[in-house]
Amino acid sequence: MKKRKLTALLTALAMTAGILSGCGAKGGESAPAGKAPAAEDAQKEAKEEGGETASAGETQEITIWYYWENEGHQATLDQLIQEYNGSQKQYAVTAKYVPFADFKKQLSIGASADELPDIAILDSPDHASYVDMGIFEDLTGKFDVSNYYEGTVNSCTVDGKLYGVPFGANCLALYYNEDMLTAANSSVPTTWDELMETAKALTTDSVSGIAFCSVQNEEGTFNFAPWLWSTGATSYDINNENGIRALTFIQSLINEGVMSKECINWTQGDVMNQFIAGNVAMMVNGPWQIPTMQSEAPDLNWKVTLIPKDAAYASVLGGENYAVVGGGNVDGALDFLTYATSEEKVKFMMNQFGYISADKTIAETQFAQDSPYYPFVEELNYAMPRGPLAEWPSVSDAISLAFNQVITGTAAPEDAAAQAQATIDGIVK
Amino acid sequence: MAKLKKFFRYENVGMLFVLPAFLYMLAFVGYPIVHNIILSFQDVNAGNLVKGTRNFILFDNYLELFQDSVFTTSLWNTLRFTVSCLVFQFIVGFALALFFSRKFTLAKPVRGILLVPWMIPITVTALMFKLLFATDIGIINFLLRSLHLIDTNIEWLTTPGTAMFALICANVWIGIPFNMILISTGLTTIPKELYESASIDGAGKVQTFWRITLPLLKPTIESVLILGFIYTFKVYDLVYVMTSGGPVNSTHMLSTYSYKLSFEMFKYSKGSAVANVLLAILLFVGVFYIKATTEGEEE
Amino acid sequence: MGEEKNLSTKKNILFCVLAVVLLCILLFPLYWALITSLKTEQEIFQNPPTFYPHILNTKSYAAQVETGDFNMFRSFANSFLISMGATLIAVLLAVPASYGIAKYHFKARKVLLLSFLVTQMLPVSVLLTPMFIMFKNMHVYNTWVAAVLADATIGIPFSVLILKNYFASIPKDLEEAAYLDGCNKFTAFVRILIPIAKPGVMVCAIFSFLYAWGDLAYGMTFILDQEKRPITAGIFNFMGQYGTKWSYLTAFAVVTIIPVALIFIFMQKYIVSGMTSGAVKG
Repeated sequence: MKKRKLTALLTALAMTAGILSGCGAKGGESAPAGKAPAAEDAQKEAKEEGGETASAGETQEITIWYYWENEGHQATLDQLIQEYNGSQKQYAVTAKYVPFADFKKQLSIGASADELPDIAILDSPDHASYVDMGIFEDLTGKFDVSNYYEGTVNSCTVDGKLYGVPFGANCLALYYNEDMLTAANSSVPTTWDELMETAKALTTDSVSGIAFCSVQNEEGTFNFAPWLWSTGATSYDINNENGIRALTFIQSLINEGVMSKECINWTQGDVMNQFIAGNVAMMVNGPWQIPTMQSEAPDLNWKVTLIPKDAAYASVLGGENYAVVGGGNVDGALDFLTYATSEEKVKFMMNQFGYISADKTIAETQFAQDSPYYPFVEELNYAMPRGPLAEWPSVSDAISLAFNQVITGTAAPEDAAAQAQATIDGIVK
Repeated sequence: MAKLKKFFRYENVGMLFVLPAFLYMLAFVGYPIVHNIILSFQDVNAGNLVKGTRNFILFDNYLELFQDSVFTTSLWNTLRFTVSCLVFQFIVGFALALFFSRKFTLAKPVRGILLVPWMIPITVTALMFKLLFATDIGIINFLLRSLHLIDTNIEWLTTPGTAMFALICANVWIGIPFNMILISTGLTTIPKELYESASIDGAGKVQTFWRITLPLLKPTIESVLILGFIYTFKVYDLVYVMTSGGPVNSTHMLSTYSYKLSFEMFKYSKGSAVANVLLAILLFVGVFYIKATTEGEEE
Repeated sequence: MGEEKNLSTKKNILFCVLAVVLLCILLFPLYWALITSLKTEQEIFQNPPTFYPHILNTKSYAAQVETGDFNMFRSFANSFLISMGATLIAVLLAVPASYGIAKYHFKARKVLLLSFLVTQMLPVSVLLTPMFIMFKNMHVYNTWVAAVLADATIGIPFSVLILKNYFASIPKDLEEAAYLDGCNKFTAFVRILIPIAKPGVMVCAIFSFLYAWGDLAYGMTFILDQEKRPITAGIFNFMGQYGTKWSYLTAFAVVTIIPVALIFIFMQKYIVSGMTSGAVKG
């Protein structure tokens, strides 16, 4: 009996050891994978020493995080990086794709674990939050942004200090299906009343008059902002006649049946797909859709115009900013950014992306008058940024809840506005 | 020495079999649990995540949560979602398991193929159901219209009540194979002689089911339900892709709300607090389960 | 059970028909995904919907093979390695653990069982940051090893809970008989108990594999290089801020399912018999 116990004990121990050594062997097997962190460590060390021994002639790694899933965008960035890497020997830039849905998470986690890239290319409304986190380098005086659109510079400026360089700009405008408009004998709308009229005329059993992304997140807020701001309301002051009028207008689009409730589940890409499939006659969307629309639906007749106005024309500024992470290889990051923001490179990038240069002087001559992009340059004059505010995500959340309540009919515009205001007042004191 | 000897009593040797797995889990999940509990008592947000100026605010996050209507909605949603899913997927899964335990030609291959819904990453399943439940192009609305059950399309994912229904459907679809296969394997542990003697005793099929199948399957059923409960309760991918908690927060679950607070609004501590509420509820269910199962075994 | 005898031909046919009907209903979403992937975007939005693609569109599949940094075959290989690794760890650790819990009535049993459950009680989102920090310190961040280690934490508790029922259902006298035959604890466990619990071990291996296969959060967070990421990461190429294309998404779904489905069909003989015919002879 005693012997049995002993063998049991020994076998259990042996198994434990076996399992543990099994794990060890596993680690050994995966040596090729295991190489990566070692290499990274080496880079780290190189980075740390980088400041003093930059002249040692060794190539230093610079990492960029970006979130474009668009193949064309990825290839363009890649080309820029290859050219840069070929142009000098001191730095080798590599770009890593972090999906948009994961971007905030990965930066948050990376900040906690001190594992961040040297450069991040991020969505402009989030910029202030990361600056608040303290992970970005102050770039004041290092880049000349005096020719840039004010809104783009503001989005990366906190307390008068520049914490980033605008990558490029975009904004929203109104696309319309020209054939449908002609068939319905309608004219291009310029005011909300005309828009409603045109949308009604264009709506049939299978076609919605208008659509824009109304998802309850930043993307939806982005698309709602032009309507809100057109009335004269601001993002922080909604519970007034103007804010309620904007919400009421959206409500009437739904109630009149000219816009589908599904918009609360449609991303901007979905809206574009609905538009090129001919299910939607007009849509609010950005210029980055143009390359896809041209290749997917080359025969579709569409044009772009300003978003119809209530009190004044308004649009919303989108786009990305470059930011340099503090504690990383700052010198290398600056060197790359200086290269990437040169006029020649900016022109190349913007044209490939379907973006408008954040640099006014470049933007004004970037597109010909008859280019489909041209209306966006015009619209950019009316475009304002979201924020900049560290707590913007919370403000945006309150706004997107308000228009979702109105669209789904779960709250009247007045109540939705009051509720959003209460939340916003709690954030912006 | 006597003490040590006593410790290595026969039964305690069993612990050594368990130890490697236990240590593994302790190493990889133990620290995160502790980390998370500490975080929930602090006031960490974007402003002090890196700067290290965290303050302990004890239960403030939790107190705040119970005044937050989105949180209370999420809590209630999670409960009703879990219970509805469990009931349907368990009943259907059980029925299918019994059906496929009959020895007909196609029993084994068809049961094998029915596992396929389980092989699909949940994010992909969620997208598929989003397509099925779409208002204008969705096949479900088309079928209902063709059968003249509805006149106008139901706006499944854009109406608060029906969005929850769609989520439950998708989750039940994933859960059926899970229940079916675990119960099927459980059925194989029941000695066939028991059924034979029961039929000799003249017991009917229904009687056999209640007297033999069900009692002998009890441990399997308990495991399936508890695992089902835990996995359903922390449902995340499915909701995130299908509704993102919308419309107007009507389908937010504790897990999605926790994620939103942490990684979309940078309220890390509050997000942790939500996760801990989820943990606390599951812990309660878990203790209940352990009690129920070990009582049964000590007969 | 009466079913041990084969069913009458009539009943057999009836049951087979019923099984096929059930199969069609339950797998309809998959059929729908398959045909949607072969339609053009315009046809997808057509009303009334078409039940087979009128214009065959395979563009969506061509895009799966390589989109930007995403290479399907490499991602598939990554997923396979990660899932196999996680399955291996889960089975190696869970089999003895469940045996220990089922067959030895030591005091800490309940606590251990509960603690296995507790590890599954936190949503993934709050596990990511602390795990990330650990993997970084272990120098496995941005390698498969991180995903393997993390994915195994799902498979282990699951397997322990399922397998303990198997070991518990094995009669004690079977083990005693083994000892009389000169087996010790270990050889009895390996030669007698594991073979009997084979269906359970098989199911646990399958589920562990599939949990790892379907994982997205761990693979995305702990691996940053696109060329090392699992296949599930590919979904972000087709779903994101700037576009959802149903044909691409459904093609992605089909592509992720087919290889696994093939493996299962190829190994069906082993898996199905493993799952159902290792019954205890009591």
